[in-house]
Amino acid sequence: MKTPAKLLLLAAVLIAAVALPWWGSDVMLQFAIDALLLAVLAQSWNILGGYTGYASFGQSTFYGLGAYGVAVSMTQLGWSFATGLLVGGAFCALFALLLGVPVLRLRGHYFAIATLALAQVMNAIISNIEFAGANIGLVLPLLKDDLLFYEAALALLVAATLTVWWISRSRFGYGLIAIRENEEAAAVMGINTTLYKVMAFMIAGVFAGLAGGIHAYHITFLDPAGAFDLTLNVKMIIMAVFGGPGTVLGPVVGAFLLSAISELLAANVTSIAALFFGIVIVVAVVAMPRGLADLRRRIGSLGLGYFADNIHRNKL
Amino acid sequence: MNAPLLHVENLHVGYGDAVVLDGVNIDIHSGELVALVGSNGAGKTTLLRALSGLIPVRSGQIIFNGESITGRTSDRIFRAGLTQQPEGRQLFDRMTLEDNLLMGANLRYDKHAIATDLDRIYTLFPRLSERRRQLAGTLSGGEQQMCAMARALMSAPRLLMVDEMSLGLAPVVVLQLMETLQQVRQTGITVLLVEQDVHIALEHADRGYVLETGRIALEGPARALLDNPEIQKAYLGV
Repeated sequence: MKTPAKLLLLAAVLIAAVALPWWGSDVMLQFAIDALLLAVLAQSWNILGGYTGYASFGQSTFYGLGAYGVAVSMTQLGWSFATGLLVGGAFCALFALLLGVPVLRLRGHYFAIATLALAQVMNAIISNIEFAGANIGLVLPLLKDDLLFYEAALALLVAATLTVWWISRSRFGYGLIAIRENEEAAAVMGINTTLYKVMAFMIAGVFAGLAGGIHAYHITFLDPAGAFDLTLNVKMIIMAVFGGPGTVLGPVVGAFLLSAISELLAANVTSIAALFFGIVIVVAVVAMPRGLADLRRRIGSLGLGYFADNIHRNKL
Repeated sequence: MNAPLLHVENLHVGYGDAVVLDGVNIDIHSGELVALVGSNGAGKTTLLRALSGLIPVRSGQIIFNGESITGRTSDRIFRAGLTQQPEGRQLFDRMTLEDNLLMGANLRYDKHAIATDLDRIYTLFPRLSERRRQLAGTLSGGEQQMCAMARALMSAPRLLMVDEMSLGLAPVVVLQLMETLQQVRQTGITVLLVEQDVHIALEHADRGYVLETGRIALEGPARALLDNPEIQKAYLGV
């Protein structure tokens, strides 16, 4: 597709999305809010895992922290939702800064394991803070305004995607890609690798945190087990990788497609939906390990041979 | 003589208990092409890594362009004009050749000068010009080494440090690269050439240093080193 046509299509999709509360059903709106927040998470993971090459298993920690930022601000301090989001986002940025400096020194598997432990640690810490509701949790004021939650989630996803688009073409983003491709060479070429990585960690953390904040107010109840959920982290990685890590729109498309598949399965085959979802993932990993973005790029010239080529290359 | 561009004094570097550089002294003057030769494990690459700020210095001094850069981070050293063409090329494999070159200029903001330099680089390496859009990882060994040199040059360095350029390349390609390096030097860039191939390095350099187990064992004009019986015996197999 040529660029103007692409932009036109994007604009049409965006307008339809903004107007969804007026043409879609209530069920659809509920589904869309969750899907949008998951897409924000996939996009946030994409900044770190896709562009910088640091596969984080700790993004759900920021999601939880953002959720607690909103919950504590609203219930314990009596502040507004907007202030709560601000507090949650700022807290995530600070936490990413303090944590990023030591953790981002680790590479590959070691980084993954260190971030994996984060959610558990935060779970234990929050469970022991009375002010944050300890392990009982916090009940937020009830607001039945799905329009607000939907539009807020959509705005957040647009902001996250624009940020990724900027990263994909800016000097900063090229620095991140250089770090992904060869960190030592990036350092040799004068990139302050620590600064770049911490910046990426902070940006990713803030988006995950804001998504968590919206989620907390939407479901009106928050406890440590729900806030620092590791499966959420697995989900966002699958979505980002399925869509195409290191691309601007891949993770968004991946998140929506997988959310929809998961929803349809849950509605139709209920109890064994998870099994089918697992099969979808396995087939996707085997037949198109580089995600939808790569599929779209190369299926034109290869046709069905694309899948055969991937299967052959992975020696399956 | 003027103050040297790079002055290394009594440099000590090590990993854990192992001492790799045990008091190295080197001076490089503006406009020179200096060869640093030595066998495997003598500490050549470690010296370059220390100069670039990639590993910490235990003691000693590094003065570059009149300023101490001892203990500075790698990005600040790069900013000062000391660029490395690292051993094993170390390209960004899944970036295009041109993007690799532009990464060399990633701290420069003078758009026009960058474009001019890019043109100049493509004139210097016509082979690279044909392959601008190709992914760096798919280039041949010789082209990758050219790309690494071109990327380093895109930073507009004052001192270019070339690490083991000859590694894994056909002799005729190495000769071509050496000639390009001579041309680079003509443009006013000072070059420190680190090589295991003692013969080819000393043939093209003005002066040479011989590094042996962490110390400078010999130094002098390249020609004199080539004729030195000790070197002929130890490195050239004469």
